[in-house]
Amino acid sequence: MGSQIEIERELRAHWPRLRRFALALSRDAADADDLVQATAERIIRSVGQWQAGSRFDSWMFRIARNLWIDTMRARGRQNARFAPEEDGEQIGFDPRPGTEAAIDLGTAMAAMQRLPEEQREVIALILIDGLGYRETADTLGLPIGTISSRLARGRTALLAMLGEKECGGE
Amino acid sequence: MSDEEEFFAWLDGELRGDAAARVEARVAADPALAAQARAHRALAGRLRGAFDPVLAAPVPDRVGAPPVDFAVVRDRRASRPVSRMTRWAAIAATLALGIVTGTMLATGSSSPIVRENGVLVAAASLEDALDTRLASAPASDDVRIGLTFRDADGQLCRSFENRDGSGLACRADGDWQIRGLFKQDEASPGDYRMASGPDPRLAELIDATIAGEPFDAEAERAAKEGGWR
Repeated sequence: MGSQIEIERELRAHWPRLRRFALALSRDAADADDLVQATAERIIRSVGQWQAGSRFDSWMFRIARNLWIDTMRARGRQNARFAPEEDGEQIGFDPRPGTEAAIDLGTAMAAMQRLPEEQREVIALILIDGLGYRETADTLGLPIGTISSRLARGRTALLAMLGEKECGGE
Repeated sequence: MSDEEEFFAWLDGELRGDAAARVEARVAADPALAAQARAHRALAGRLRGAFDPVLAAPVPDRVGAPPVDFAVVRDRRASRPVSRMTRWAAIAATLALGIVTGTMLATGSSSPIVRENGVLVAAASLEDALDTRLASAPASDDVRIGLTFRDADGQLCRSFENRDGSGLACRADGDWQIRGLFKQDEASPGDYRMASGPDPRLAELIDATIAGEPFDAEAERAAKEGGWR
């Protein structure tokens, strides 16, 4: 069982990744900050559930993801699905294929918001955080086949949104 | 695994040995697939690059410190966004405590509000009313209960009114701690108080304190039977 001090040390060490994960899921920084804070508090309260030496990051991401799902459920699916699309347009999202420049955080978040929740979390963990398929499957409690099919659909949709510079478009 | 999924697994370095060699040969033989591989590598790089600055942000001194219940915050946001102005109004409102304590915080065993370890808590008739009275009780009594609800920390709170004014008390350490107290407006004294609705300062304080919706009669009764926990 991890001690309070160990947990806080782990949490500090993983804080930037937690924040990045929260931003990848959220539609704005305020939502992400709430999620980070809530996750941190849940982790501190759940000190007894984490085994020192086991993977902290998977545990942390799982807590964050479950809290996020709770939030989305509370807000209602409609809201979660349709509002972000407008947000994407509001921040000057450029859907044209062939956009070559590096993308900024706002554009990336807007594109992520256009993905269904279940694809977004997989993209966030694998493409953005760099977790492996197996770790992602364990973190999300899903079969690895589900992970790879959601990943395929999500990244294909993202490529269509963010430009297909190497593909020559349609 | 479909061909497409296998292709991505290879791209992500998830395939080993023969499986990896097979996809590699497929990509090498197919210019369109090779272009796909480049496009997807670039996409992943740009996506990661967009989030990179986030990693450089400083880690707060105290992680996980503020006692916020996410579920409650969430409910509150879902039901009604609370502006920063309202929060400030609530803080300002609690400063009004001093005004009314002269009348309510009298000395003696019957004082409705007493100071315990530096905090104001309900006592005597006020404590009794907060403990036992439902909002539906006759208003002719000394203390009338208004709303019952939970705050962002999950504590039960109840608003009340009496002859001198109105206020808000929340459960803390087995007491009803006074969160705000507002003196009866001298311009419209006496019996018209109840008819004219709650003090706007109290309404602001409730607005800033409440998480979710106020309890209905049934929930209020259940909370009472549960010992206001």
